Amino acid sequence: MKKLSILMLVVMLAGALLTACQPAPATPEKIVETVIVEKPGETIIQVVTPTPEPKQKKLEIFHWWTAPGEREAADAMFAAFKAKYPDIEIVENPVPGGGGVSHRVVLQSRIIAGIPPDTFQTLGGAELKNYVDSGALQPLDDLWAELDYAKVIPGPLAKAVTVDGHPYVVPLNMHIQNILYYNLKLFNELGLSAPTKFDELLAACEAIKAAKPDMVCLGLGSKEKWGDAFVFDSLLLEEGGPEYYVKLFKGEVDVANDPVFRAALEKFQKLIPYINTDHAGLTWDQSVALVGSEKAAMVIMGTWAIGAFVKGSNWQPGVDFGAVTFPQVPERILLFHPDCYGLATNAPDPEETLNWLRVVASPELQIPTDVTQGGLFARTDIAPTEFPDPIRQELQTYVSQNPGKLILDQHGSILPATAQPIYWDIISAFLAQPDIEKAITETANMMTTYGVKEASAWYQWP
Amino acid sequence: MAIQKTKKYKRKQYTFLDLMVFLFPMLIFLIILYGTLFWTIYVSFSDWKTITPNYQLVGFKWYKFITAQPRFWVDVQNNLKWLILGVFPTVILAIFLAYLLELSPFPAVESYVRTLILYPVAMSFIVTGTIWSWMYEPNRGVFNTLLRQIGINSQLRFTTDPETATYWLILIFIWQYLGFAVIITQSSFRTSELQEMIEAATVDGAGKLRILFSIVLPNIRSGLMVLVSLLLISTLKVFDIVYIVTFGGPGIQTDVLALNMWITTFQQRLFSAGAGLGVIIFLMAFILIIPYTVYALRKWFE
Repeated sequence: MKKLSILMLVVMLAGALLTACQPAPATPEKIVETVIVEKPGETIIQVVTPTPEPKQKKLEIFHWWTAPGEREAADAMFAAFKAKYPDIEIVENPVPGGGGVSHRVVLQSRIIAGIPPDTFQTLGGAELKNYVDSGALQPLDDLWAELDYAKVIPGPLAKAVTVDGHPYVVPLNMHIQNILYYNLKLFNELGLSAPTKFDELLAACEAIKAAKPDMVCLGLGSKEKWGDAFVFDSLLLEEGGPEYYVKLFKGEVDVANDPVFRAALEKFQKLIPYINTDHAGLTWDQSVALVGSEKAAMVIMGTWAIGAFVKGSNWQPGVDFGAVTFPQVPERILLFHPDCYGLATNAPDPEETLNWLRVVASPELQIPTDVTQGGLFARTDIAPTEFPDPIRQELQTYVSQNPGKLILDQHGSILPATAQPIYWDIISAFLAQPDIEKAITETANMMTTYGVKEASAWYQWP
Repeated sequence: MAIQKTKKYKRKQYTFLDLMVFLFPMLIFLIILYGTLFWTIYVSFSDWKTITPNYQLVGFKWYKFITAQPRFWVDVQNNLKWLILGVFPTVILAIFLAYLLELSPFPAVESYVRTLILYPVAMSFIVTGTIWSWMYEPNRGVFNTLLRQIGINSQLRFTTDPETATYWLILIFIWQYLGFAVIITQSSFRTSELQEMIEAATVDGAGKLRILFSIVLPNIRSGLMVLVSLLLISTLKVFDIVYIVTFGGPGIQTDVLALNMWITTFQQRLFSAGAGLGVIIFLMAFILIIPYTVYALRKWFE
């Protein structure tokens, strides 16, 4: 042990020495040197201006991929960029904390202060529109035309990042939200098949409860407030269909007198006895771990849960757990939201940022990044077999063949940012104390208070 | 013949520079504290509702908006629960603990116990919040596991129970602030007048409890006043515990004004409404601190 530490010390010292011996990177000098040359009899003042060194190319980037699993994806992203542009230095300002919550606080302060980073991570839809409305992003029509990007990504994805006819960001992935993961071995043991609609889900829950009284049927983590909204989204989608889903979150439905919304709430209420009681204290990854540790049989979560199963519980897709999009009636719809990067207004390094965006649009970046992080490829011309798991291979194939089945979800996307936390709170409150009338009145009030109809009129589907 | 004092104190003339040495830190303090305060008040009356600031004044628009939200009134109720249940149990427990420590016949043990009690204060709310949320976990947490070990099938759901969640959060606060309260109470015991009075009472044959109620309590009023004021303000601006342990959930059952302010400002991006909530919290703290200010001023002029 002692030897090892001495060895370490020697290596560190040698390393320090080597770095010290390297020529220090030249700092650009702007000093005007004055050289006074004295000759007998006369004094000549010579002004020498050193030629300016080329500016160190840099790119300042704001992203929220700092959690384990996401960090590796961010590194893959930067490695792809470095491979193409080795001379541009990447300055990261990562803010720890998932979901981009603290990230947004810092980013907003910098945009307000007029010192934005060159480029920053954002979702599509309402989140993006917020930045566009504040003039924080520049339109990228030329870049999109140059890359012909609208041709290689699904139409609904292009629409989700286009405001008033101008694309403002380059999406690099799509997260699919409405996926039901289940314990495959248990389902085989009990002779159950994967539920594709609410009645089947309820029947499966009954069967599981009868066979395994200690096991919770549907695992849920609602601490971050959006986990339960996901479950409710899938119920809305089955009850009302895709068009209704879009209309509801665009504020075009009279919620107070709407039978579909009420029916979805009633279904949600029926589901509550089959959900773990401590959901309010669990985060999304803990809810996935409930299934992985066989405390729950199923969980509704996005594509990012695949990594949590594989890395967190050492469960293999197709062997230990299965996944289906839920619901599959009346149609098999995929709710999605993208991660994107744009060009900030007043970005200090616009050239480098455009180069970065070109790389973001390329398969060279999307393949390693999306495989690691857990979404689907934004480009539909990448072979689905690049994914190691059958779940995403199948989803990517489905998306390539049926791009029209993609709908932007409400998670930072259709609902305006002002209304979204309120909507989450209403659904969480309903889950804690089911009161259908209260949930309906509050949702109807939310739609009018925050002018949802006007604020999300920009979003068009299909 | 009376001896006359001949020495006269000469008043030194202060230069502007001399004054600035002392006034400059004061100015910075005033600008940062009151500048931002008045700025927040100004923003709360303006119409700033996206990322881009809009300083057009719109009067009480956002205050009307805030008070029209049912969420605001849930917050006010919760903040009142925090004020009452967070402060008074802490003070009463602190008085008894401090008195017990005073009575302790083993001074060596006393100093160890005091350090132990003081430890939680040294931890940040983020740390205590995380630890307590682990302990509170209904299925795997320490509390329910221990209860099950001794044969009680505990159905306690702690912070995930909508009815009682706030009270479990307040318990964390009491645990965290108790040591601090004990130290302040104990130090106010240690005045020489009070010690003499206790001695006199002991000689007169008064019991320990009698001494506590008739002699100690009436004489540590100023210490308690400081303690209660500090605790009141801490409970009023509570944010970290709620943010870490429940994030306002289940539903909005444990939401408080400070968390609402954070969500309104940074998630909803209604900056003016967020500033308005900040001003409301400030005004509540201001009202709460009035008794202490009056008391302190009276002392000052005595």
